[in-house]
Amino acid sequence: MILSLAAGTLALALALLSLAVGAAGFGFVIDPLILWQVRAPRTVLAALVGAALALSGAVLQGLLRNRLADPGLLGVTGGASLGAVLAFYWGLATAFPLALPFGGLVGALVAAAAVLAVAAHAGTGAALILAGIGVAAITSALVTMALSFAPNPFALAEITIWLLGSLADRSWHEVWLASPAVVAGLLLLLSLGERLDALALGEETAASLGVAIGPTMARAALGSALAVGGAAAVAGGVGFVGLIVPNLLRGRVGERPSALLLPSALAGSSLVLAADLAVRLVPLQQELRLGVLTALLGAPVLLAVALREARVG
Amino acid sequence: MWSSCRLLLAFLVGMTGAEAKPSRVVSLNLCADQFVLALADRARIAALSPLAADPSLSAAAEAARGLPTARPVLEEILPLRPDLAIAGAWGGARVVAALEARGVRVVRLGLAGDFDDIIAQTRAVAEAVGEVARGEALVAAMEARLATVRRGERHRRVLIWEARGFTAGEATLADWVLRAAGLRNAAPFAGYGTVPLERLLAVPPDLLVTLSASAAPSLSEALLDHPALARIPRLALPAAWLACGGPETLRAVEVLAAQ
Repeated sequence: MILSLAAGTLALALALLSLAVGAAGFGFVIDPLILWQVRAPRTVLAALVGAALALSGAVLQGLLRNRLADPGLLGVTGGASLGAVLAFYWGLATAFPLALPFGGLVGALVAAAAVLAVAAHAGTGAALILAGIGVAAITSALVTMALSFAPNPFALAEITIWLLGSLADRSWHEVWLASPAVVAGLLLLLSLGERLDALALGEETAASLGVAIGPTMARAALGSALAVGGAAAVAGGVGFVGLIVPNLLRGRVGERPSALLLPSALAGSSLVLAADLAVRLVPLQQELRLGVLTALLGAPVLLAVALREARVG
Repeated sequence: MWSSCRLLLAFLVGMTGAEAKPSRVVSLNLCADQFVLALADRARIAALSPLAADPSLSAAAEAARGLPTARPVLEEILPLRPDLAIAGAWGGARVVAALEARGVRVVRLGLAGDFDDIIAQTRAVAEAVGEVARGEALVAAMEARLATVRRGERHRRVLIWEARGFTAGEATLADWVLRAAGLRNAAPFAGYGTVPLERLLAVPPDLLVTLSASAAPSLSEALLDHPALARIPRLALPAAWLACGGPETLRAVEVLAAQ
């Protein structure tokens, strides 16, 4: 509870800061148009994207009882990017705007289903991570291929946006498109706390407590696909957030998966808000991609977790 | 004086007969395409660049339709047995070197930055394809077109904004076009760079000229339709008009001067 409060306060402070930083100058004493039409939607999206990725990571880690589970590493984010890329560059989203989050949702769902099917078949552990790496590699190759064949000459240069993520110059339009899916996904994922706690005791114990693995996996897959699919459809594939956040918090809340969910969502918002602030502060002609910063933060955490697991195991 | 020398030269070339005209001209570059199409007989064009007939990028797409195209790679250019190649400033360096090694004349056109460059390139291509008189006629026609453009007072600030916020500042072709139309370039730098959305909104121009290269969607071009731009007066021009300095560049001057 205290952790949730702290993470929420941090997210709020970063959101306020996010309204005050940009190419037009610092502070709130700027054109209200810039504040409300440019910075505000970007801030809202950063908070939503961070919450979606981190909560999805926390749920997947609990569900699969594997600290390396992350929507990015498991290919869910890649699948979402692929679906969004196909919907966007071939004009589907122009004719029918909801095609964009819908494409992200379908791509994420297919990737999540593939990975969870492997998990159900092969158990958790190394096989799952390998399957996830396989799905992630296929989706990133397909995103690159889809953009190489896209009819717009600028599409090729946008590969980095879809593989590394960006929130530059988004408008309220993108917020309206993404938020229904993201919010629905977040609510569904937050409701899984008790089931995850039961599963932490092992599948048989969970079954004896009335928690079946199949429906729980299906709900987690749908929740992740909604949250990550909606987020990636407007922000691309921001990596490592789902991996870093639960692992950083786990030391403070202990091993109970349900205690990790809300703090993870709020801390995820803080992380992406902070990364999105940082990309705006680096003086480049084109903004640094969000995923560059989250990977710089996330990869060391991945290494630390891997080392700790090796020592424990 | 210079142009009368040119006319005399044209006359002399005409006297020595049509034998001197290259009969298998290849254009290796989108900008060269425009000059070749305007100056050489269609029957003498062996190939244009692959972009020549693309209406989103080529200002002479209409004229290019039906003519063969070839990519600027050896495997496609050498079998055409060209006797003259018109190339851009940088592209196709290996093709150019290979053609020159075989004794084929290659004319390299620099990046046209203003009307003087356009005239010089018109004359260079006209001379190379053996159509000096046609070149002089085109130069005279362009000068006449430019002379009839009514210039404004040069206080309207105009920003030319392309995909990803790419902007042409001072000392560029687009800057010359704005000046020729009696407008002031609002870009805060010389050469090419980007103007971020926020900075554009902080100091909005009197007129925002957007150049769109494609009807197909991209994030880079979605920026041009950001809702926050709604209150700024805007004009959309085909990107093809400003992609190259050539006879078609004057269309952009005429449309902008009418604003």
